[in-house]
Amino acid sequence: MSPLVAWLARFSHLTSGPAVWGLFLAGAVIYLIAEWRIRLLALFVQYFFLALLFSRLFANRPELALLKMLVGWLICGALYFSARVRQDAVGGRSHFHWAADLPFRAFSLATFTLIAYLASQRYALPFVPENLALACFLLTVLALLFIGTEEDVVVVGVGVLNLLAALDMFYSSQDPGLLVTGLLIMMNLLVGLVVSYLAVVEVPE
Amino acid sequence: MTVPGPIFILGVPVVMAVGLQFLRRWTTVMAWLGVLTAGLVGAVIVFLPLTQPWQLGSLEIKLGEPLLILGRELIVQPVDRFALAFLFFTTAGLFVVAWRLLPHSNFFPIGLVTVSLLAGALLVEQVVYTALLVVMAAILAVFPLHEPETLRGGAGTEEHGDGSRTSGGLRYMAYAVLALPGLMITQLLLDLFATFPNDQGLLSGAAVLMSLSFAILFGATPFQSWLSNVAMNGSPPVVTFIFTVNLGTVWFMLLSYLQSYAWLERQAAFGPLFTALGLLMMIIGGLLAASQQSLGRLVGYATLVDNGAMLLALGLERVEGIVLASMLLLARPLSLSLMTLGLQGLRDVGGGDDSREAVLGAAWRAPWRAVAFMVGGIALAGFPISLSFPVRWGLYRLLAAENLLWALLALGGSAGVVLGLVGVIRSLLTPPATGTRPRVGEAGVRAITVVEDRGVLLLIVVLILVSLILGLFPQQAGRLALQMAEYYTFFQ
Repeated sequence: MSPLVAWLARFSHLTSGPAVWGLFLAGAVIYLIAEWRIRLLALFVQYFFLALLFSRLFANRPELALLKMLVGWLICGALYFSARVRQDAVGGRSHFHWAADLPFRAFSLATFTLIAYLASQRYALPFVPENLALACFLLTVLALLFIGTEEDVVVVGVGVLNLLAALDMFYSSQDPGLLVTGLLIMMNLLVGLVVSYLAVVEVPE
Repeated sequence: MTVPGPIFILGVPVVMAVGLQFLRRWTTVMAWLGVLTAGLVGAVIVFLPLTQPWQLGSLEIKLGEPLLILGRELIVQPVDRFALAFLFFTTAGLFVVAWRLLPHSNFFPIGLVTVSLLAGALLVEQVVYTALLVVMAAILAVFPLHEPETLRGGAGTEEHGDGSRTSGGLRYMAYAVLALPGLMITQLLLDLFATFPNDQGLLSGAAVLMSLSFAILFGATPFQSWLSNVAMNGSPPVVTFIFTVNLGTVWFMLLSYLQSYAWLERQAAFGPLFTALGLLMMIIGGLLAASQQSLGRLVGYATLVDNGAMLLALGLERVEGIVLASMLLLARPLSLSLMTLGLQGLRDVGGGDDSREAVLGAAWRAPWRAVAFMVGGIALAGFPISLSFPVRWGLYRLLAAENLLWALLALGGSAGVVLGLVGVIRSLLTPPATGTRPRVGEAGVRAITVVEDRGVLLLIVVLILVSLILGLFPQQAGRLALQMAEYYTFFQ
């Protein structure tokens, strides 16, 4: 086992609780802050927390968790290049600013988070540890918020990726087969590529 | 060396797709190689017996031989042959349509990979993999849907904020992925039910999730926004591909689910559910189509009505229903291809815009495109003379025997599409006002009279003739659909 994989496995046992909330906070940053560099950094961090949680699921094969993290970071890289192209096409400098309709966003995020938390308390997901169940619910509500209330290609795409992560976490708890895991990794890569592609082609010439 | 059928069916298109990527400079070569590949695979599926080997050099291809990948079996079964042939022949036909419309497009290689994934979805035994492959194919289809060339000039867009130029592909991908959890979890619940047969909650959960997922994939109300968005700003030939090949696979997947879990169909009362959903789709689709200003969206809502008619036919819970729905699916590529050819030309006349205002008087400038759009629209709405007409008529008669109101509502949905088309005809035939006629070469304005590409003209004439002939003599298509329906025994 490589030192990085061993470290990831050891670290995940200590921090799976905080990792769930780290995952959520990274999602909240993507939803509330409109600056693309911060959003991509938050996505980068989110994949780190996801890998920590996955390393609990794949206790015997932590390299799979590492693979998921690397794929996530690869997607972040693709999205970074697309965002750069968009920025160059539009012109001007990127600066920190909150997303439009901030009070509405904050309110809907708080409401959805509460719903996810209560759902995780009330509906136990079969064969899924409590922390991971909460992560599944949080990722799902984040995905619904991103897909339902955003127009930006990259944010909607992150929503799709979050939904896939929630599904992956849930399904891997039930049936940790290699083929499904592999297909889901391929699907993540495809989604990342499509989002990156759409972000570039929608820029007017 | 013996090659299992699935390797040939899935591998040949993928290998050719890689080759086509290097031939993108030569559209004609790329398009016709794509047509030949899809046509050849389709022909092998139709004509090669499942058990008899086909000698190809040193290779021996056995269509019925299963392929094992990590313990999962892919096998061509008699029931799959109709579906696979439909997918490959429709793809070949759409490549012919796209040949003159999409120069240097990546639709040809990606279309081949997509149809290969969809074929894999039909061949694999476990429904989890079917769902995963169908969704992957949907995601892949987004690439040719929004190519930079088709987006130039703001084709079919509504300028309302970020992402509107590519909202079709984005919504399609998002909805396809939203449908995935339901399909994957359904199998888990059904496996659990097999272990705990007294837990009816598992069964209800599976039925709800499965219905929800298929409703999303079919663009059923209230999930219809992806259909209209895709049709509004997607590249027309690719839109047709998604609405026929991708949606066709979803249709066969639904039939396969019902066949695999016949006991679920009996216990969960899917019949009334399909009837209600189908009627709702036809009514909402008809209302939205009647009030539509964008030609692209009209295509989307006409497809919604057609999807509703298919579900309604299935809701009859009779073999005749499956036959009617299959015939509707067979008729769709023809009508949508015609609409596609028309829409692309009319958009060009409107400077990339397909609103009714933008295409005012377009019938005088591009008469053949206007005729193609109208004939295709009438066929998709199920009005004479088209293959859809006798099918829809049969559906209304069967429905009326059960409930006259349902039949009238379904007819109303189809009439809504025709009303929308009447509005489009009025716009297309409005003569351009004197003094405001655009001058050739003026910025942002296209030539007054469009010189039609001869290939496109030939395609339009052939498609109209085939549509008329099949409308007048639908027996052959009916026989084909009946043969396929005989494999599905869940209503017997």
